[in-house]
Amino acid sequence: MSGTALWRLACEVEELVAPGTQPAVLAALLAWAVRPRRTLEGLRRALAARGGPDGSPAEALLAQVQEHVDDQDAAAASRLLPRWRARGCRVSVVGDPGYPARLAEDWPSTDGPVLLATSGARPPTAPTVAVVGARSASSYGTGIAAWLAEAASAAGVHVVSGGAVGIDAAAHRAALEGPGGTSVVLGCGHDVGYPRGHARAGGLFERILAGGGGLLSEQLPAVPPKAGIVRARNRIVAGLADLVVVVEGGPRSGALLTAGAAAERGRPVLAVPGDIRLAGSAAPNRLLAEGAGACTEPADLLAALASDRVAVAATVPQTPARTTGAMTVLPREVHRELAAAWPRAVTGDGLIDRSGLPAGTVLAALTRAQVAGEVVGRADGFVLRRAPEPGGR
Amino acid sequence: MRGIALVGLRPLEVRVEATCSPGLPVLKLVGLPDAAVREAGERVRTAIQRHGLRWPGERVVVNLAPADLPKVGSSFDLPLAIAVLAATGQVPMAAASRTWACGELGLDGSVRAVTGQLPLVAGARQLGARELLVPAAAAAEAALVTGLHLVPVTDLTDVVAALEGRRPAAALQPLLPPLRPCTDPPAPDLADVRGQPLARRAVELAAAGGHHLLLTGPPGCGKTMLAERLHGLLPDLTTDEAIEVAAIHSLAGERRPDDPLRVRPPLRAPHQVVSAAALVGGGAGVPRPGEVSLAHRGVLVLDELLEIPRAVLDALRQPLERGEVVLSRARARVSYPGAVLLVGAANPCPCGHLGDPRRACSCRPDRIERYRARLSGPLLDRLDLQVALQPLARTALLDGTPGETSSVVGARVAAARTAAAQRWGAVRLNRDVDAVLLRRTTARPALARLAAALSGLGASARAFDRMLRVARTIADLEGREVVDVGHVEEAVAYRLPPVPVPA
Repeated sequence: MSGTALWRLACEVEELVAPGTQPAVLAALLAWAVRPRRTLEGLRRALAARGGPDGSPAEALLAQVQEHVDDQDAAAASRLLPRWRARGCRVSVVGDPGYPARLAEDWPSTDGPVLLATSGARPPTAPTVAVVGARSASSYGTGIAAWLAEAASAAGVHVVSGGAVGIDAAAHRAALEGPGGTSVVLGCGHDVGYPRGHARAGGLFERILAGGGGLLSEQLPAVPPKAGIVRARNRIVAGLADLVVVVEGGPRSGALLTAGAAAERGRPVLAVPGDIRLAGSAAPNRLLAEGAGACTEPADLLAALASDRVAVAATVPQTPARTTGAMTVLPREVHRELAAAWPRAVTGDGLIDRSGLPAGTVLAALTRAQVAGEVVGRADGFVLRRAPEPGGR
Repeated sequence: MRGIALVGLRPLEVRVEATCSPGLPVLKLVGLPDAAVREAGERVRTAIQRHGLRWPGERVVVNLAPADLPKVGSSFDLPLAIAVLAATGQVPMAAASRTWACGELGLDGSVRAVTGQLPLVAGARQLGARELLVPAAAAAEAALVTGLHLVPVTDLTDVVAALEGRRPAAALQPLLPPLRPCTDPPAPDLADVRGQPLARRAVELAAAGGHHLLLTGPPGCGKTMLAERLHGLLPDLTTDEAIEVAAIHSLAGERRPDDPLRVRPPLRAPHQVVSAAALVGGGAGVPRPGEVSLAHRGVLVLDELLEIPRAVLDALRQPLERGEVVLSRARARVSYPGAVLLVGAANPCPCGHLGDPRRACSCRPDRIERYRARLSGPLLDRLDLQVALQPLARTALLDGTPGETSSVVGARVAAARTAAAQRWGAVRLNRDVDAVLLRRTTARPALARLAAALSGLGASARAFDRMLRVARTIADLEGREVVDVGHVEEAVAYRLPPVPVPA
């Protein structure tokens, strides 16, 4: 191998590495990974078979690859770098300080990725929950996912998921404004823009980055979201989380892989019971049958986290965040109905009927409340954005 | 001799000239006749001969002027016959040359009504005709048009008599049909709708301001029921409006000459496999009116709106904005009126159960998004009132207290329409008012509130004006002269995305 090409690559890589990662190691790993048929996961397996690295993972990996990469590999790797740079990514190697510690536990016998490229914030060390489920989600599923994720985030718990449409998106969206925040594990490279609706300007991913969250990927920047790659990222979702909650998914849902990966690492799994007649309930109901805990309200989720890590309990407030009912822009009768139904939605018809006010008055008030951010309009009606004060009228 | 050609509903005078010259006894028709007009020669020749009148033993040339205007249909039979009779001296030339006529001839010399008789008669008046020979069979219908002298004729004998200044036999019969209010069964009453206060309110606003309405909801929640009742809330047409509507129906062949004049606004509900040509008009040669024009001044119901191909739906954009359809073809450019109140009904998602509290929706969010994208943004912009209906609980169906009746709501609608008509003059409906005029009757804080609400919605400037029109109608229903913040806020409520992708 030629030292100069690799050395030059290391110089270029320097501005992309996360704090604590050595550019030379990353450069060598990239040069290795750009060739087809050579996978980073293969390196991990080889190390695992040998009974673990002598010394740090980075040194062991470097020792494995540096004899096998040449000028061409280095040049090919160098062409990929601008695509990471454009997305503002930082790349870390397993075991380095910038790499999430939870994901590196027991490496290489656990299957944490060798590289992790992150745009936006790195996942915090705060207690973390993975809220996962299928893309083809019912309104029940997305509603529950949002409810759980919002409560978790409000309690300071970080929410990770896979960034797909359906359950994942509902969880991210609900968590992104809370103090816990949210991170996405992409099923493709950073520069691919998938799912398209989330990656476009003003989409979910942009909002997550703006809200202080992060996007993570183990893949080189241009890798497309092939089925195997998308499914493989589920192990990272599980690896980052102290607890996995499966909301909805079919009998072969990727959410089962996430749950399985969590179980392998000895982390607890909760499932949201679903209607047994619907295909989307197969995954959570099977997990329940196999011994997963039932998650029927945010308190279940917070309790499971607290029992897993004692340190968590102190950070979890007993009641969710609240706004003062006195600040409402709604007529008293309307606010009363919305508060009584929370967290469920009330239809416009229901509000008009039960408040006893004229339709026009109620509609005008709902517009005002939506513009003020107090109420959200959804497919199933209107719902208060925040939990009402207990007993507040 | 004068006849009338119609390009769409626009009448054009056609002068029919005949001359005889030595030569073989053939009839030569010039002036762009279509197949029906060319065949008129045979009908006219046989009718004249059978009726004991003389067909010249010479070469006959008939010219339909202007020569570059295509002539369509069988209404030129009668002018053609008169022109030949005048050329051969069987009727006075002076009388013939100032007479207008339209009608089809039978081989026995009888005069028959033609398709589109009403617009032909109305057209003759528009062109300044004082006297018009019309088929007696269509006289009752033609008599709806006032301001010109109608001479009903049953056969060529009557025609000759009329031109010689005698009174044709058919004219002795009484003419005017009573302006019968339409014989439709009474419209279903709004009181039948249980619950659904939101939809009832939207229906009332739509009827009062002519705003287009989009009803979404799971199957069986009453979308069609509401559309029918909206039609029942509209006031009767004035006589002039009724004639305008009848003229279009007559042109499309949807109306027989002896049908009573309908004073109820039309209600059209084409099936969702409708083609663009059937919806907005079209066809070979001069395009014919489509469903939009047939529903002029009335209600056009499009059920399963999202099942209609997008290209067909987008053809609706222009008529919804301008109230008329302009069809440009290689041969002709015609415009038909098409001021309709559009009522669209659609399922909220492919399975139909999104937002249904009783059944879970099984659609993937991206599929819902794609389903909704079938309705293009510009068309969605024009649907001013968007209401998500909820399925009714069975108890509400049986025991729910009946709401206000159509007559109560209809009275409010009529009052609001009167207020709008007095304010705007010729335009009459809030839907059609110019945006600049509209802003003058709106309070400044209301405009500011609307702008603030819209920036959150990412709505277009067109949506801004359209919401202001709805707010105007809300104020009119309350009897207010100035549009206030509350009115604007309610108007926006019919636009807030009923379904952002589930969150």
